[in-house]
Amino acid sequence: MDVSEFFGRQLLSSELPVGWKERVSKLQVQPGIEVMATTVRCNRCGVTTTKQRCTLPNNQFYCPSCIQLGRVSTLNSLVSLPEPNRFERINQKDVLTWKGTLSKTQDKCATDILTVFQERRQHLLWAVTGAGKTEMLFRGIAWALSQGLRVGLASPRIDVCNELFPRLVQAFKRTDIQLLHGRSDIPYRYCQFTICTTHQLLRFKVAFDVLIIDEVDAFPFAQDDGLWFAAQQAKKADGALLFLTATPGKKLFQMIQRKELSISYLPLRYHGHLLPTITCRLASKWQLKLEKGRLPRSLIVQMQQRLKHNIRFLLFVPHVAQLPAVQTSLQHTFPNEQIVTVHAGDPDRLEKVQLMRSEEINFLVTTTILERGVTFPGIDVFVLGADDAVFSSAALVQIAGRAGRNVARPTGDVIFWCQSFAPNVLEAIKQIKYVNRKGRVLQQVRAEDNG
Amino acid sequence: MAECLLCHRSMSHQLTLTQLLLPVPIEKRCCCERCWQQFEAIHSDKACSVCGRQLTTRTICQDCQKWQKQATMEFKNRACFVYNEAMQAFMQQYKFAGDYRLAAVFEPFFRQQVNRQKADIVVPIPVSEETMQTRGFNQVMGLLPNVVYQSPLAIKSNWHKVRQSSKNRHDRLQSPQPFIISRPELIAGKSVLIVDDVYTTGRTIRHAAKLIQDAGARQVNGLTLAR
Ligand SMILES: [Zn+2]
Ligand SMILES: [Zn+2]
Ligand SMILES: [Zn+2]
Repeated sequence: MDVSEFFGRQLLSSELPVGWKERVSKLQVQPGIEVMATTVRCNRCGVTTTKQRCTLPNNQFYCPSCIQLGRVSTLNSLVSLPEPNRFERINQKDVLTWKGTLSKTQDKCATDILTVFQERRQHLLWAVTGAGKTEMLFRGIAWALSQGLRVGLASPRIDVCNELFPRLVQAFKRTDIQLLHGRSDIPYRYCQFTICTTHQLLRFKVAFDVLIIDEVDAFPFAQDDGLWFAAQQAKKADGALLFLTATPGKKLFQMIQRKELSISYLPLRYHGHLLPTITCRLASKWQLKLEKGRLPRSLIVQMQQRLKHNIRFLLFVPHVAQLPAVQTSLQHTFPNEQIVTVHAGDPDRLEKVQLMRSEEINFLVTTTILERGVTFPGIDVFVLGADDAVFSSAALVQIAGRAGRNVARPTGDVIFWCQSFAPNVLEAIKQIKYVNRKGRVLQQVRAEDNG
Repeated sequence: MAECLLCHRSMSHQLTLTQLLLPVPIEKRCCCERCWQQFEAIHSDKACSVCGRQLTTRTICQDCQKWQKQATMEFKNRACFVYNEAMQAFMQQYKFAGDYRLAAVFEPFFRQQVNRQKADIVVPIPVSEETMQTRGFNQVMGLLPNVVYQSPLAIKSNWHKVRQSSKNRHDRLQSPQPFIISRPELIAGKSVLIVDDVYTTGRTIRHAAKLIQDAGARQVNGLTLAR
């Protein structure tokens, strides 16, 4: 183990090699758990737990919330070393090895981001799905790296990290970059640029001059104050913090209102089109009817129309348990169609997605947004039971964003069947309307520029 | 809303219809039905009559036949669950990651099993001082919060235990006696139930059984959560 592995890190004293605690100068030691009257608070993840849920024998306590990263308890402590920014300097013009070009809108956003980093601000970039967010980061990251700053890019989702890593390695070939998450076997190294899950941020302390958090609203950190806590302690006190999202949640809006966060928008997709708007149809007691083998008449009609005009589509339903009934019912109504259903835990998921991608089937019935990057160009999207609590407003916006995505058919239809206008549905409609209003202004400006 | 301790899903709507219709109160379970189903209970009529391992009939498994050749001691173990993937994952989380509250998943079931043995005294396998310092608990005692147990055994003070999991089977079978009897008066003339979390080679629990028997116990049996 090398001392550099402690720079800007927050590790457990029990992870230290024997004798290090005494030997390493400047090592900062802090108790892992603050014990209060009836609760304890973890100094790594910030979560407060009632004593009843986390007591060890002999009046000791531990934190169950962040235990996956190694147990914080009253039996050990947290140790860290200050971040010295000990990185090799690269000439500014050599840092970025990406040679692509940005659209006019992307270019403006890239400059905004650079300014956020330079002014060390906390900022939210609200960019619709498919806007090309990653490329817009390059300019700002290149500047930070050339200044010898430490950069972190975190996402709540491992698949997002895995997808970003090779693209960033390509874009910054001369920079030492590390990918860090719970399912990776590669041991930690001290690097100028770290790509990790937001969970891993808890093992950093006052490390990053620039911290970017992608897909803020993605499962599983959606309503988690923990994310905010993790970000605040992983970055330097005056470090820049950039949130990227297609579907900002309540917490972020609150912070914007309280002026803790500035905001900019990228309301158009890469092909310059608006997000598809949502049409809602009422379907009362559809679950009961489904048990009797019937689906809403209007849904069948819409499906028939799409099949007739060779428009492919996705049909979302809320629960895995409903898939067999939907399948049986559809098979009855459409005897000539191959009805394929898929869900997140389906062992044949990849094959089924491939059937849809290779256009061997006309539609797919699913409970999940499938993987990121899985897009079917030019499709429509139907959601049966959109008002069900399993669909967050963020998920509904993401689902709607699956429609269109094709220059030939850029918008696509999005239809929700609901028993009521539940808050999640209304919020999703509101968000899309809001972004599109901004998008229309931008389209206008562009048209005038071109005219 | 209660959350499953193992998969963290909400358990509110996972009650089955029969559970709802039954007039008796549902035993408070801390994990969901789905997770519970992953554990494979061992029935004693389909298990080794010596170590409790799951078999197709009640016979003596090969490992135990070897033990019987070299030992003269009368010792029978009952194991509650197969040490399958789910149980290994549980042990990883409970014992090695140190998530002490997970003991609640097996506590009611395990307590029943212990009581059913009707032993005079219950003796959990001890852990070393060092383990108490780092893990903070004895994983066997953690499973027995509502059982009266005694501690006549202690770990030898000079015992620098190499982690069992890092040794192979042969090494473990050779390993010397780690325990001493610190309180023989608790044992003499009693029927004793030794309790451990996992029966792997049987070496540990048999070391304990041998000492207890030599100290004058009337009868010594074993009970482990997994085998
Ligand atoms: Zn914690
Ligand atoms: Zn569960
Ligand atoms: Zn046996």
